[in-house]
Amino acid sequence: MDIEITFDLEVSKVTTIDPIQLEVMWNRLIAVVNEQATALMRTSFTTIVRESGDLSAGVFDTRGNMIAQAVTGTPGHINAMATCIHHFLAVYPSDTLVPGDVLITNDPQKTSGHLHDFTVITPVFQEERLVGFFGNTCHVLDIGGRGLGTDAKSVYEEGLFVPITKLYDAGQENSELVKLIAANVRTPEPVLGDIHAQVAGNDVGGRRLLEFMSEFGLESIEPLADEIIFRSEKAMREAISRLPDGSFENAVYSDGYEEPVRLQVKIDKKGDELWVDWTGSSPESKLGINVVLNYTHAYTTYAVKCALAPEVPNNEGSFRPVHVSAPERCILNAQHPAPVGARHIIGHFLPGAIFGALSEALPDSVMAEGAANIWINQFSGRDEADKVWTYVWFSAGGTGARPNKDGINATAFPSGISGVPAEVIESLSPVVMHRREFRQDSGGPGKFRGGLGQTMEVSVRGERPFSLSPLFDRTRYAAQGYQGGQPGGFGRIEASTGEVFERKGVRDFPAGAGVTLELPGGGGFFDPFSREPMSVLEDVVDGLVSVEAARSDYGVAIDAATFEVDEDQTASLRAGR
Amino acid sequence: MTGESGGVRVGVDIGGTFTDIMVFDAGSGRFHIGKTLTTPDDPSRAVAEGLAQTLQDAGITPQSVQRIVHGTTLVTNAIIERKGVPTALITTRGFRDAVEMGREHRYDLYDIFLELPKPLVPRRLRLELDERILADGTVLTPVDPDQVKDLALHLAQSGVQAVAIALLHSYRNPEHERQVEAILNEFAPDLTVSTSSSVVPEIREYERTSTTIANVYVRPVVVDYLAKLEVSLAELGFDGSLFIMLSSGGICTVETASKYPIRLVESGPAAGALAASEYGRRTGRPNILSFDMGGTTAKACIIDDGEPSTTSDFEVSRVYRFKKGSGLPVKVPVIEMIEIGAGGGSIARVDSLGLLKVGPDSAGADPGPVCYGNGGTHPTVTDADLVLGYLDPRYFLGGKMSLNIQGAKEAIMREVAEPLGLGLHAAAWGIHQVVNENMASAARIHAIEGGKDPRAYPVFAFGGAGPVHAYRVAEILRSPQLIVPLGAGVTSTVGFLAAPLAFDFVRTYFGQLGDIVWHNINGLYSEMESEGRAILGQAGVRPEDMTIARSVEMRYAGQGHEVAVPMPAGELGEETLAQAVTAFEEVYRRLYERTAPGNPIEALTWRVVVSAPRPDLPLEQLSSAEGLTSMALDALKGERPIYLPEDGTFVEVPVFDRYRFGPGAGFGGPAIIEERESTLVIGRAGRVTVDELLNVVVDIPQID
Repeated sequence: MDIEITFDLEVSKVTTIDPIQLEVMWNRLIAVVNEQATALMRTSFTTIVRESGDLSAGVFDTRGNMIAQAVTGTPGHINAMATCIHHFLAVYPSDTLVPGDVLITNDPQKTSGHLHDFTVITPVFQEERLVGFFGNTCHVLDIGGRGLGTDAKSVYEEGLFVPITKLYDAGQENSELVKLIAANVRTPEPVLGDIHAQVAGNDVGGRRLLEFMSEFGLESIEPLADEIIFRSEKAMREAISRLPDGSFENAVYSDGYEEPVRLQVKIDKKGDELWVDWTGSSPESKLGINVVLNYTHAYTTYAVKCALAPEVPNNEGSFRPVHVSAPERCILNAQHPAPVGARHIIGHFLPGAIFGALSEALPDSVMAEGAANIWINQFSGRDEADKVWTYVWFSAGGTGARPNKDGINATAFPSGISGVPAEVIESLSPVVMHRREFRQDSGGPGKFRGGLGQTMEVSVRGERPFSLSPLFDRTRYAAQGYQGGQPGGFGRIEASTGEVFERKGVRDFPAGAGVTLELPGGGGFFDPFSREPMSVLEDVVDGLVSVEAARSDYGVAIDAATFEVDEDQTASLRAGR
Repeated sequence: MTGESGGVRVGVDIGGTFTDIMVFDAGSGRFHIGKTLTTPDDPSRAVAEGLAQTLQDAGITPQSVQRIVHGTTLVTNAIIERKGVPTALITTRGFRDAVEMGREHRYDLYDIFLELPKPLVPRRLRLELDERILADGTVLTPVDPDQVKDLALHLAQSGVQAVAIALLHSYRNPEHERQVEAILNEFAPDLTVSTSSSVVPEIREYERTSTTIANVYVRPVVVDYLAKLEVSLAELGFDGSLFIMLSSGGICTVETASKYPIRLVESGPAAGALAASEYGRRTGRPNILSFDMGGTTAKACIIDDGEPSTTSDFEVSRVYRFKKGSGLPVKVPVIEMIEIGAGGGSIARVDSLGLLKVGPDSAGADPGPVCYGNGGTHPTVTDADLVLGYLDPRYFLGGKMSLNIQGAKEAIMREVAEPLGLGLHAAAWGIHQVVNENMASAARIHAIEGGKDPRAYPVFAFGGAGPVHAYRVAEILRSPQLIVPLGAGVTSTVGFLAAPLAFDFVRTYFGQLGDIVWHNINGLYSEMESEGRAILGQAGVRPEDMTIARSVEMRYAGQGHEVAVPMPAGELGEETLAQAVTAFEEVYRRLYERTAPGNPIEALTWRVVVSAPRPDLPLEQLSSAEGLTSMALDALKGERPIYLPEDGTFVEVPVFDRYRFGPGAGFGGPAIIEERESTLVIGRAGRVTVDELLNVVVDIPQID
């Protein structure tokens, strides 16, 4: 067999790498970015990065096309990184870059939407010739300003803004920039440690890429990139083609901050392309829940891929047939200097809006609305020695039901992050978790039930007051069910002082106070009266659904003492509606 | 162990299809190999029958067997097939869902139809108590004995047979778990009980609870099996000691295995890695990459300084077998290795992007590859290997089984070659190459995760399919050398004979290094060490022969990944702080190139391994053949055409008889070397020599 790789550039841009060589080289490229990500995670200082996997890492060709990404991360990072490189190249065109250069920014509009994420891009050279780029995005522990939250009125209050800059210039560290960062963040060692881990991760990727190229005798990865992109794009286009031509609309609502936020989507499908437009969505908020277009783009393409082509590799090719737009200064295309700190809250609602729009045309490929944003629970105070402490963890509500199975209880979607064990929280902070369990009856009723949210009961040890800055939502707009499925339970936060949280923002509590956080459930799928009575019984026996809800929501009569279904009563309940 | 040089030692591995037996007679210095079909209804039967037969063939009496070391897949299978006993959980009020909520994470970002693993205990059997211990070990709410008693009486009537007790922060203060266990023992004496503080006293409630449940869920099954095995062996006349292989590579007594059966979860693969370590040490290669490829999976394991490293992050019963995160976590020490769905039975197909994929689904043993002629229709790796000439259709398993090459060709044409527009041989080579790439990628990631450069490691290959693929895998990894032992198909059993008697203990004591009260650590260590000494003592090990290795898992505050740092023996005190910092920085720098000075260091988990000396094993005696030759040509048994990618075509290559090679034989590739259970394929650049242990050593020059 001929193992030479031949490219027939005359016929078209499409090359003719034989499929086996392509599979081999493609896998190798994925192995290279996984090595990059592994090096980064192992040397990172942020528990968010290493425990929760909140990072992305990928390789780009010299034109800035992302061709492979590590098998880790969260959509807001991965897809935002894929589009950000063009901004870097606009500031530093590739012919101005030299070996040893490293670029960095946390510009929200140009990368993943808030100052807490640093993106580091490293060009890779074979001899003196540019052959590609490695990039990664990581959430840093602190970026100064008010700290992670919703309360800033402009990005200037949210922390240090580093425009697209050289972190290294021909191998020389930009020590002035490093000094500036160190002086502006509350925790300089881990923040700088993480930035250096980002640089090292790209270096590992670059070294491995060069080895791979020399082993296969490649002088350029462009032909391979073309093939990868071509095949991914083709598969994505084929998947889009299976959707009927037409226009699909939907609107979903979030609590917002000062007022409810409407997210209006219109998807136009023609041939093998999609145009997703967010016109009609709410204007920019005055507070930090605004989303930049790059982040909107990330969660839009993510949702489209989940619904249409989950198996297609995620790269430049799979993004090409999907066009995303939102009017300037709407909440999904926030302009500088709008505050953007908690952009994930709104961003995490986008997949639900898109699934809803597609649910008529693709009922078998979408999940009902879920809890949407992960909740970020940030407690802080002063300990007995008057030292400031702060602790943050993430929590998830329920996902929407699927057309063939129940939703998942207390599991993040669309975010790809993980939670933190109660024992770890309590070991690292004075927070005490008194309860963390599935919330009975919070799963939206349906033939397939929505995932349950969770209830956390929390207090703080010691004789000092404390503060809570919860990033929550769905206290007024529940996750909707599909095709007759019912909404999931509302989110709710209530303190032992009697206060029920009605809007976002920091709250102060006296010593000894407790807070109960109830996370929302996901919506159901199909009419709950068509759920198998035995499945309802199982849920009742397991305490996921109450006897009362079984009766009222599902039309199933269950004897609370014997756990038996009363079939006659059930038949009449179900007939009587 | 000392004082046993005259005895007979036996290793027994129960696999899915075969039960492998290796007998080493220290008196004669000879090895005897036995292989018998596994008897799934009562696996102890195959062990007893197979052992009786092997001993009889060797002319050894069961009475002269001093020690049997045994590994089994029983625990893994009972969990995967959900064949443990009905089990309940007792946990802290408010936390019964910890074991189902897990880390609130989806293991696949794009698959919105994914399913999470179901806990072994359903929610209705997860019961809560009013009690609470805080992170510092202090009691917030004491146990109410009456409440526990009511629960015990209820459970005794409920039909469950086993109970896991997992209370919050019990790794720090086990008192509540002990109280609850005592009350259960009194009022529900028929229940099998395990406490999380005894099974895995480590922080993180999800993983600890999941592990404790898995342990007690399989415990009655394992206890029953081991009891039967002891009876069968006794009936045979065996009166030596029976030991069980642990996933960590240590071995333990039947009593310990019966208490903590979850520690046996990966005992088979562990033996393979131990065998590789033993060969590495014996041939002066302390650093090697162990590569074990069988019918359904391949395992790669980096071995440094003659010892495989262990980890406590393991999963069983994955929803998707090779998808990390889709299984139930079990925190027990296992030898750190990577297992991927690449074996002789892995199925090849063309996916929706028009690309060739191989595995992870496998045709298994039934129906098996198309060429087995047992009804398999999908082309597999073995089918491709056959079409490429690497396997001889008339000499598979030493000629015990004939292979249908026509069927293999047709299946590859139909399902791979035609859809891709390729010829038969290009498609078959493609399958071979893709599976090699998959294995090499996995091995490389495994190496990198441990901060190792795979190019520095010779590949040690075994398992039925290992030698067929190892040369090309080594090439992809840019490994300098390939070593293939004699009897590669049963190499794992050597691991049972090589394993020292060893036991690990672990305690969590969390704190920043500067705040550690060393007096408390002395207490933890001495408690663990005396436990270990007691167990070894019962097994007949003299106190002066016991070695103790201490370590602690440390990290910079704020990090989530710990590194294991060795700790000095003896009484710890103020001076230990500086030693610990130095030791930590040394390990950290080795792994990650740099340290992060100025960041506080914290310690989490304190470990002790108590072990007996490593047994002697004269591997040079493994071959009993007469007439060994150092002249390679004398071992030549013919020629056959094989596909050589270097030449892009089929080439006639010499076929050698493995059993005739003596030390010193040498020649250049390409070549085929056949033995009963496996075939070694060598490419054109390979330079072959046979060493003193009769290993085939292939040097692979690096081409840049």
